[in-house]
Amino acid sequence: MSIVIPPPPDFTTHEGGGAEFNSATPSRTWYHYVLILASIVFAAVSVGFIGTILWNALPDFEHHTGTLLGGNGWQSPAGPFGGLAMIVGTLETSVVALVIAVVIGLGTSISIVFLLPRRFRNVVATLVELLAAVPSVVYGLWGFLVLAPWMLKTVIPWLNSWPFAKELFGNPGQQDGQSLLLASIVLAVMILPTFVAISREVISVVPNDLIEASLSLGATRWQMIREVVLPTAKIGLFGATFLALARATGETVAVALIAGGVANVQYHLLYPGTSIASWIATEFGEAQGNEISALMALGVLLMLVNFGLSLISRWLVSRQRKVLAVV
Amino acid sequence: MSDMTELAEPVETGHQMRDEIRSISDRSRARRQVRSRIMVVLCAIALSVTAVPLVLLLFQLFNRGLPVVLHTGFYTQLPQTPSLIAPNATGGVSNAILGTLVLTLYASVMAIPVGVLVGVYLAESDSKLAATLRVISQTMAGAPSILMGLFAFSFVVRDLHVGFSAIAGSFALAVLMLPVIVISSEIAVRGVPHTLREAGLALGAKPHKVSMKIVLPAAMTGIVTGIILAISRAIGETAPVLLVIGGGYINSWKPLDPVSALPLSIYENAKSEWPSLRTEVWGIALVLVVFVFVLSLSARIWASRKQQAR
Repeated sequence: MSIVIPPPPDFTTHEGGGAEFNSATPSRTWYHYVLILASIVFAAVSVGFIGTILWNALPDFEHHTGTLLGGNGWQSPAGPFGGLAMIVGTLETSVVALVIAVVIGLGTSISIVFLLPRRFRNVVATLVELLAAVPSVVYGLWGFLVLAPWMLKTVIPWLNSWPFAKELFGNPGQQDGQSLLLASIVLAVMILPTFVAISREVISVVPNDLIEASLSLGATRWQMIREVVLPTAKIGLFGATFLALARATGETVAVALIAGGVANVQYHLLYPGTSIASWIATEFGEAQGNEISALMALGVLLMLVNFGLSLISRWLVSRQRKVLAVV
Repeated sequence: MSDMTELAEPVETGHQMRDEIRSISDRSRARRQVRSRIMVVLCAIALSVTAVPLVLLLFQLFNRGLPVVLHTGFYTQLPQTPSLIAPNATGGVSNAILGTLVLTLYASVMAIPVGVLVGVYLAESDSKLAATLRVISQTMAGAPSILMGLFAFSFVVRDLHVGFSAIAGSFALAVLMLPVIVISSEIAVRGVPHTLREAGLALGAKPHKVSMKIVLPAAMTGIVTGIILAISRAIGETAPVLLVIGGGYINSWKPLDPVSALPLSIYENAKSEWPSLRTEVWGIALVLVVFVFVLSLSARIWASRKQQAR
C-alpha cells in the first residue's frame, strides 16, 4: 500500500542510457520495438482508464451537474442523485484523519530519526511498513467489529460528559457505533504509515552540518529540531501531508464498513455518514442506468481531487530536493 | 548622575553583573532544557501511539482468528449460508482462497511483462513519451483503487460483454499493479552502475544486448522486489474486485467464471447478521494478513540481503 516517490531522474549524470535509443546510431532492433510497444500499451491503458470513467460519467454531467455538486439526498432507482453528502463526508473524514495523522506522524518521524538508537531504526521502520501492508478491509473489519462497540460503550459516554461536546459532536444515542469520527480515526491509522515514510525520509536528509552547527551554538535538542530541522524540511513535509490527504480521500472499504453509509449531510461527527469512494462501493452493486453514470461522475470527482493532490505533493517533494541541493 | 555613582564601585558591580548574567542564563538554559525534555517525551509518546493499533490489531487477529483457521474444513469446504436450523454452519472459504490465487495469477501474467518492459524503457530513454509516462505512472500509482473497479466494470464487464468474472477482477488488479511495477523497475534499472553498461559497450556488445544480458540481470533483485510488493498490495485490495468478480460460491480456475476472493468474503461476512459468520471472518482476515505479511517481509529481507552481498 505504501506509495514510494522515486527520486526524479537525474539526466545530468545519465548519458549512456538516454543517448542509446535516441541517437542516430542504428540501434532500432526488435528489442527497442518491444519496449516501445509495451510503453504504448501502458499509455493506452492509462488513457483508457481515465477516458472510460469520463465517458460513462458524461450522461450525468450533461443533465445533472448542479445536483451532483450541490444536491442533498440520493433516491436510489430514479434519482435525483445529490453528491453533497458524500463530498462533505469525504472532506470531514479526511481532514480529521489528516490532523491526527500529521500530529502523531511528525512525532514518530522525529523520534525515529533523532531519538532512537541506530540499531532500532530499521526495526521500527519495518513495523511502520507492516502497518502499511495491512489490507484496508482488515482495518475496516477491526473498526467495525472491535472499535465500534468500544466507541459505543466507552468513548461516547465519556465524550458526552464534557461541556459542549453534544453540540459539537452530536449525541447519537443507541445506534451501532458507526460514525464519521470512528471512520476518521481508522483512516488516520491507515494514512499514518504513508506520512511517516515520506516525512522520515525528508527529515533524515536534512544536512548534518546544519544540525551540528545549531547544537554547537548551544541549542537544545528540541530547539535544534524546531529552529533548524523542521524549517529546512518544511516543503517536503507539506508534500507528505498532501500525499496522505490523497490517500485518505481515496480509501474505500474501510470507510464503507465504519462510516455507516448514510447519505445525509452531517456536520456532527458522531453521526453516521459516508464518503465518495465508499458510496460508490456500496451502491454500485444494485445501480442501474442513470445511477451508474451518477456514480461514475462521483468517480470523476474523486479522480480529479486525487490526481490534483498527488501532483501537488510530488511537486513539493521535488522542490524540497532542490532546496537541499542548494544548502 | 546615577551612572556616575554606579561607576564609583567598578569591581563589585562587575561581579554583580557577571553573577546576574550567569543566573539569567542558567535559568534560561534550565527552561530550554525542560522544554526540550517535554517535547522529546511527547515525540516518544507519538511513536508508541503509532505502534498501538498494530499491536491491538494483531492481537485481535490471532486471538479470534486462530481457533477458526485450525479446522481443515476452513480450507477445503465451500461457504454455506447459515440458517435458523443450523446457525453455526459456515462451511469454509476454499473458493475465496482459490479465487485470490487465480486473480493474482492472471493479474500478474497481465501486469508483470508490460510493467517491467515499460520500466526498462523509462530508465533507458529520455524521450517525450518517457517523460509523459513517468508522470502518468506516478499519478496512477496513487489513484484510488475503487476507480480501477469502475474501469474494469465499464470496459471488461459491460463493453466487452465478458460479465462478472475472474478475468475482469484480474484486469482491475493488473491496472492497479502496473504503475507500481513500472516505478520500481525504473528505479532498479537506473540503480545499475554505469561502469557495467560501459564495460559491455566497450567490449563491442550491441546496446540491446547490453541492456538484456547485463543491465537486466543486474537489476533483477530490485525488479522482483517491486513485483512482490505489487502483488502483496493487489492481494489485499477489496474495492476493485468488489464491483466485478461476482462473488461465486464455486471452486474454479476458469477466467470467465465468477469467483470470490479473501478480501471480498471478509467484507461480506463482516456485514452479515449471523454471529457465526462474524466469528469466521477473523480467520479469513488472519489468512489474508499472513499472506500479505509473508510476501512483503520476504521481499524486504531478500532485497536487503542481496544488497549486502553486492
